[in-house]
Amino acid sequence: METLDIALPRMALLYGLCLLPWFLLWLIGLRLSRDIGISILRMSIQLTLVGIYLKMLFDLNHPWLNGLWILVMLLVADLSILRRAGLKARYFALATFTAIASSILFSTAYLVILVIQPTHFYDARYIVPLAGMILGNCLQGNVIALERFYSALRKNENEYATFLMLGATRWEAVLPYFREAVKAAINPTIAGMATMGLVSLPGMMTGQILGGSEPWLAVKYQIAIMICIFTSTTIACIINLKLSLNIAFNEFDVLRDEVIDKP
Amino acid sequence: MLCGKSGSGKSSILRTLLGLHPIKSGAVYFQEQPLTPSSVQTVRSCTAYIGQEPMLGAESVREALLLPFQFKTHRDHKPTEAQLIEVLQRLHLSADILRQESSRISGGEKQRIALARGLLLGKKLYLLDEVTSALDAESKQAVFDVFSDPQLTVLSVAHDPEWLERCGIVFELEAGRLTQVKRNGNT
Repeated sequence: METLDIALPRMALLYGLCLLPWFLLWLIGLRLSRDIGISILRMSIQLTLVGIYLKMLFDLNHPWLNGLWILVMLLVADLSILRRAGLKARYFALATFTAIASSILFSTAYLVILVIQPTHFYDARYIVPLAGMILGNCLQGNVIALERFYSALRKNENEYATFLMLGATRWEAVLPYFREAVKAAINPTIAGMATMGLVSLPGMMTGQILGGSEPWLAVKYQIAIMICIFTSTTIACIINLKLSLNIAFNEFDVLRDEVIDKP
Repeated sequence: MLCGKSGSGKSSILRTLLGLHPIKSGAVYFQEQPLTPSSVQTVRSCTAYIGQEPMLGAESVREALLLPFQFKTHRDHKPTEAQLIEVLQRLHLSADILRQESSRISGGEKQRIALARGLLLGKKLYLLDEVTSALDAESKQAVFDVFSDPQLTVLSVAHDPEWLERCGIVFELEAGRLTQVKRNGNT
């Protein structure tokens, strides 16, 4: 079963749908035309470029080229996590890269090599979209983990110092904030798994069904990707926070001001 | 005792002694040893620091008192129920307070719970930062009596004249500098 193509005139018709929310927003006095226009334009250009690149990637299907693409995704994710978490990249870039790269490579390799078992493990059709989906979710989790952890430490500076004064090691003193940060990071994934299929049909499954896959196959892939997202987010957050502890504190266990990006 | 106007650096000195405040010049010595990243743990393990608005760090008063005994350093020295009650009574607190939530007790009670926690740890050196500021006369007297023990060394920040009378040495600070040292009331 082939997916029906959307011809260019009908794509234009699709863009026309945006006029309805734009008109409603204008009616209630929200002047967002510029933001909406820029967002739709950026989405269209970015996805067109990705489409061209992915087409080339799939046609060539070269292991090094696929690896390079994943490396670029990891580097962009690394910098994006630190910028959004309010931490300085020059201090944490290596720690965050190590955390996300190890967790993404582990869970993607586990899924592709052990579970899906394609003829070539580096097959771009599997490795690129799967690594991308896992990384996208892992990115959100790591932003939440780092942001929560360092905000909590700054907000509860006196409490943290009290723990140290009561004989806690650095690790013992940060543990309450560490646990809370990891919990906040993985909660959306846990909640997402609990309501999946009831509240909404997940994007990957919908995409596969539209692409002509049997619903059963789409379900299996969706379960696989959710388990990998959960695993890699948990591993990456824990490794990332743990590695960051060696960077963010001075030798007297006091949080270094200079590592935080002041807004 | 450290005294001086607000902002003269009294609290900063206490925090510096514990390695919580970075020093730009000079050095801190504890028992004739310089304060270094490797010695700071020893200094902290011999010292109890109690601030003006102490953080109890736990939901109930009992949990707050037992908090340090969750840490590896003190895990083997968990106090008995009798020891908890005894230390509370020394500070004029009733045993019923153990069941209360930390967020529901008064500022004065919080200060005395933090002091009780320090005493339970059996520390020899106490760094006290205006710990009687929220106490009534009777409770203040109880605190004075407990810390008048010659076995204990107390370095405190206080404005209280009664506390001043009981101190062996008074260091006066102004704008971060030591301006006067008084011994037993004599300059």
